[in-house]
Amino acid sequence: MILTERFTGLDPRTKLVLVMVLSSLGVILQEVLLLGIVWFLTLSLAALFGVGWRPILRRSRMLFGIFAAMAIIQSVFTTGGHGFLWLGPVSVISSLGLERAGGVVLRLLIVVVSASIMATSSPREIVQGLSQWRIPYELAFMVAVAIRFLPLLRQEALETLTALQLRGVALEQLPWGRRLRVYSYLLMPMIAGVMSKSKELALAVEMRGFRAYSQRTAYRVLRPRPFDYAVGGGMLVGMGLFLWIVY
Amino acid sequence: MTFPLKAVQLGYSFSFGTPPLLRDLNFEVRPGEVLAIVGPSGSGKTTLCHCMSGIIPLILGGTMTGDVQLHGVSTRKLTPARIAQCLGIVFQNPETQLFFSEVADEIAFGPENLCVPPFIIEKRIDEALEKVGLPGFRGRNPHELSGGEKQRLALAAVLSLDPSILIFDEVTAHLDQDGTHRIRAIIKSLKQEGRTIVMVDHDPHQLEVADRILLLKDGTLRNVLDHDELVAIL
Repeated sequence: MILTERFTGLDPRTKLVLVMVLSSLGVILQEVLLLGIVWFLTLSLAALFGVGWRPILRRSRMLFGIFAAMAIIQSVFTTGGHGFLWLGPVSVISSLGLERAGGVVLRLLIVVVSASIMATSSPREIVQGLSQWRIPYELAFMVAVAIRFLPLLRQEALETLTALQLRGVALEQLPWGRRLRVYSYLLMPMIAGVMSKSKELALAVEMRGFRAYSQRTAYRVLRPRPFDYAVGGGMLVGMGLFLWIVY
Repeated sequence: MTFPLKAVQLGYSFSFGTPPLLRDLNFEVRPGEVLAIVGPSGSGKTTLCHCMSGIIPLILGGTMTGDVQLHGVSTRKLTPARIAQCLGIVFQNPETQLFFSEVADEIAFGPENLCVPPFIIEKRIDEALEKVGLPGFRGRNPHELSGGEKQRLALAAVLSLDPSILIFDEVTAHLDQDGTHRIRAIIKSLKQEGRTIVMVDHDPHQLEVADRILLLKDGTLRNVLDHDELVAIL
């Protein structure tokens, strides 16, 4: 518990370093076994940061479909490995296909799980951290606003969908072709809603003095502690050592 | 005499050649006065708020004729940031006025933009929360508040800039009766502080606090004699 508090209380910049290290390893490494080790490390770190298992499982679940699709595509279009399932002369599932699909999915899992570590900091802390890294405040602020508004957009899409269903459109009973056409009808009200919300938000931001001066003050300044340097530095050195040993 | 807010032959149309939404409006708001502007839906109340606050012509397009002056200076010669230092506007929908995950951050955003020193910002956060009746809400998540609390927070965020002029654009439109009562009480206390207030609404009961009421209809403004006449009109 105390350890989790120490980790969640880390400077968002330290967390960003950590996420960058894990994601870089996910991109650089090619072997499934090594990617598996990094994924295990990512899961352990996520647990240390108090990230719940349920959101991780929920996000990972959608990757199973990608795994199945990738396994078939890689098996059909690559040669090599042992064929497990054949459709005439074509190998539908092969060991090489499974290995490559596993690699792709592990990479995605590493990125998804490591990104959830960032969610243990508030958007404001992330903005402040990025600003103190001399990233233009406007850019950092836009990131925070995007994080804030994505759930709103999802809610708006669901509301529009419900409104359509209340008008008697039974989506589940429609064939896929017609269902896609119905989904296209959602776009117009959604885009209009997003435009209107963006406009209102922009007005509220401008009328509160946004970009009044080239600089701005911050009532809450982030100050990294020795533990931040230890974790951030440890991750960078660890990544270097890991790559040196492996290659 | 220089008025906090003055409109001179103010007109507006959304694009060139279309019929004007506002036509030759002339009015001024005296220091410490509460001016109410009422009108039916679609009469241009929000557009008028945008003109008074400089959003038109500085941010939004369209064709604005005439002039709006804040303390004697045309809004055309000011920037939104300069206007924010003397005029605050609270919009209808609190959802699109709040963008941080902590109440204190929300209130600090404006003063931080205006380079107010951090120790003063701390003070302003507490003062603004106290004024809108939300003490002890500093660490709360704005998105977990009720509609009325969100609107009061949006008002606190504007008050932290300490503007002398306030514009309320149908701020109670999304609120229940309790939320409406609370906002009305806050407006009364702001009036007692001597702030110049323009409130735009279509609900006559919301305007009891007003010193003067103007009716916006068919693009023009006219004085409303009293509250009873207003109820009869609307």
